[in-house]
Amino acid sequence: MKMAAIKMFIGLVLVGCLILGGGSSFGQEVVTLTVIGDAGHNLKPFEWYAPIFKEEFGVELKVIGVPFGELYEKEKIEFVAQTGAFDICIVYPKFIGDFAGAGYLLNLDEYASKLGPRMPDVVPGYRDFYCKFGGKLYALPYDGDVLSLYYRKDLFENAEEKAAFKKEFGYELKAPATWDEYLDVAKFFNHKPGEKLAGKTLKTPFYGTAFYGQRDQIYAWWGNRFASMGGIYFNEETMKPAINSKAGVDALENMKAALPYCPPDVLAYGYEELKDIFLNGDAAMVIQWPCVGKKGADPKQSKIVGKIGLAPVPGIMKEGKVYSRALMPCGRVLAIPADSKHPWKAYQVIQWLAVVSSTADVSTPLTGLDPYRFSHFETPEAFEMFPTIEDAKVYLAGIKANMSSGYPEPPIPGSVEYIDALAVNITKALTGEKSSKQALDDAAKEWENITARFDVEKQRKLYQKLIAGWRAAGLWE
Amino acid sequence: MEKNRRARFSLSIEKRIPVLFVSPCVAVLLAVSIFPFLYSLWLSFNKWELGMGQRSPTFAWLNNYAHLFTDNRFWDSIENMAEVLIFGVGAQFLIGLGLALLLNRPFRGRRWVTTLFLLPMMICPVVVGCNWKMIYNYSYGPLNHILRIIGIGEGLNWLGSTHLALPSIIIADSWEWMPFMMIVLLAGLQSIPVELYEAAKVDGASGWQEFWYITLPSLKTIIIIAILIRMMDTFKLFDLVVLLTQGGPAGASETISYYNYLTGFKFFNMGYAASLAYIQLAVIIVIATFFLRSLRKGEGG
Repeated sequence: MKMAAIKMFIGLVLVGCLILGGGSSFGQEVVTLTVIGDAGHNLKPFEWYAPIFKEEFGVELKVIGVPFGELYEKEKIEFVAQTGAFDICIVYPKFIGDFAGAGYLLNLDEYASKLGPRMPDVVPGYRDFYCKFGGKLYALPYDGDVLSLYYRKDLFENAEEKAAFKKEFGYELKAPATWDEYLDVAKFFNHKPGEKLAGKTLKTPFYGTAFYGQRDQIYAWWGNRFASMGGIYFNEETMKPAINSKAGVDALENMKAALPYCPPDVLAYGYEELKDIFLNGDAAMVIQWPCVGKKGADPKQSKIVGKIGLAPVPGIMKEGKVYSRALMPCGRVLAIPADSKHPWKAYQVIQWLAVVSSTADVSTPLTGLDPYRFSHFETPEAFEMFPTIEDAKVYLAGIKANMSSGYPEPPIPGSVEYIDALAVNITKALTGEKSSKQALDDAAKEWENITARFDVEKQRKLYQKLIAGWRAAGLWE
Repeated sequence: MEKNRRARFSLSIEKRIPVLFVSPCVAVLLAVSIFPFLYSLWLSFNKWELGMGQRSPTFAWLNNYAHLFTDNRFWDSIENMAEVLIFGVGAQFLIGLGLALLLNRPFRGRRWVTTLFLLPMMICPVVVGCNWKMIYNYSYGPLNHILRIIGIGEGLNWLGSTHLALPSIIIADSWEWMPFMMIVLLAGLQSIPVELYEAAKVDGASGWQEFWYITLPSLKTIIIIAILIRMMDTFKLFDLVVLLTQGGPAGASETISYYNYLTGFKFFNMGYAASLAYIQLAVIIVIATFFLRSLRKGEGG
């Protein structure tokens, strides 16, 4: 009720601004800006605020939505051909090094000094890995994706299950903090039909865990383990791949060990399948994107409303403390191509979305956008889809913790090809076609060939520039 | 003199009119077919890495074609393609022929049944892929649900197993395109003169002999054409691969056209992608020549 009143008040203020500020666009030239992004609900904010953009900034928007998997190629082709076709681009952050490094994107530092994007309010991992290149600002935040561990709070708190777990493993049942604990918990909760779970006899299988098995993102589920075990993508001096290190092999072995506790078809799992197995109440825990937490609170999409806990992705014990790194696959940032004819107007629009409307946009179930600002995490009352404010707080605290220990995707040119080669080999190890070491050695060999094709020296300079920016921000050792 | 000049003028106009009429068509053909064909052929001898921002191609001699020999993914995808062609098109032909033979017999509601059989072919391929993805789902799919009811274990791992992923694609593709075989062969069956069967009956031929000595030889031309069309079409199999498996797990269901797509539009290695496309074209031409030769042999006989 209180929230509804606040929203009504904000609405009245916006309408008032439109009426009173209508004169501000009087005589102002109205220009059309072309926006490109992945089609669907994440482009909605551009539609919702179109009247405001027209009145405030003299901007009309032509929004082009392309399929999720085709956004990179559409943008890349236009950038290479220098057509100036777009003024605002939604960019997947793993391409920020590719695009900014080649000079396709406008450096936003000058505009940011005029109209602040409130970057100190953005969680450092997201801000420095994904909005900056070489320490300079090239994009503003829009969608804060990071992987988090979701688990069945009701089962983990069940007295019978807790006692049985302690008896079997000798320590308390809780959200797994390390990858070894993750395997214990997955094994413990993996049940066949006819077996008992929390006092009830199961009619269908109940799985200990599941992961994203399709080739486009499987590397990220390996990457959570790899990064927390101290893995890095390349040796920054030589540009030799470092994925076949001990960290890489241990990560893959851990992933392989989790396979028996996953649904048999887990290697065909994409986002939807992974979401469904958990929200249908058929798995004890999964690592997933933030939107699953929001969907899990919606009774139309979830059978486990109010039963979901959220924790940092597991890690390893390092000097008596848990060290974990959460991969940040996907995500979205807003960038302006260097050849845009109206960069200032485009900047005003993206600044509005990244600052003014961001809380509303990441807290509504009408978009798939996820929180990324400290101020988002401090506004649990805005996330009305959760049954209680406490649930919203747990959700936001979990996302914030994971984002604070975020780990980037490989963000240099050719990232799609690097990721594909790695993914195919990870799957070959999981199917038993190759040993973990052999699979990662083969992937590293393919990475070397890709780097050679792309020019080792160019790639090395780009990678070093990225690392320098991250190191300056204190995010890289 | 003036008269002659006029006659020559009108003759030259008459000669030019056909050229005038044909030229728009030729221009369109040149622009959308001949030029891209020649351009991509030229591109296949070039290195053009759009992914690294290379703005114009550089001549690379036969490097792209030479690389094909050491590219394991290319050979794996060719092997997968061969499986789809042999088992997929083979199944479509056999089932299509069986159904065509059944539908060639008179019975009540035959038209309705024929129309119903044609439905899969009329559905948008993307919808077919989405439907089969749901059908194949291990935990919630109807196919495994039925298998569990009839007691075949916990169901089959259709899309997540390296052994079943490609057969699953073949089944979905056969379901979609078997009606094409059926309708083409049915048309062929209906064009066989009834007198041949009547004469065979008079001679005391059995049903099997009728099929072997009359039906099959009469259908030979139609069979060759139908199989050729389906083979050429199947060679481009892409949509079901993207929707069902993305070529996985571990590349077990990666077809040549999907690998070509990845190379061109995900890895932006345009020169190599063009060479892959030309290899595909060469293979299709070889297959087509083989079939057309058998066709000519048939005519001769």
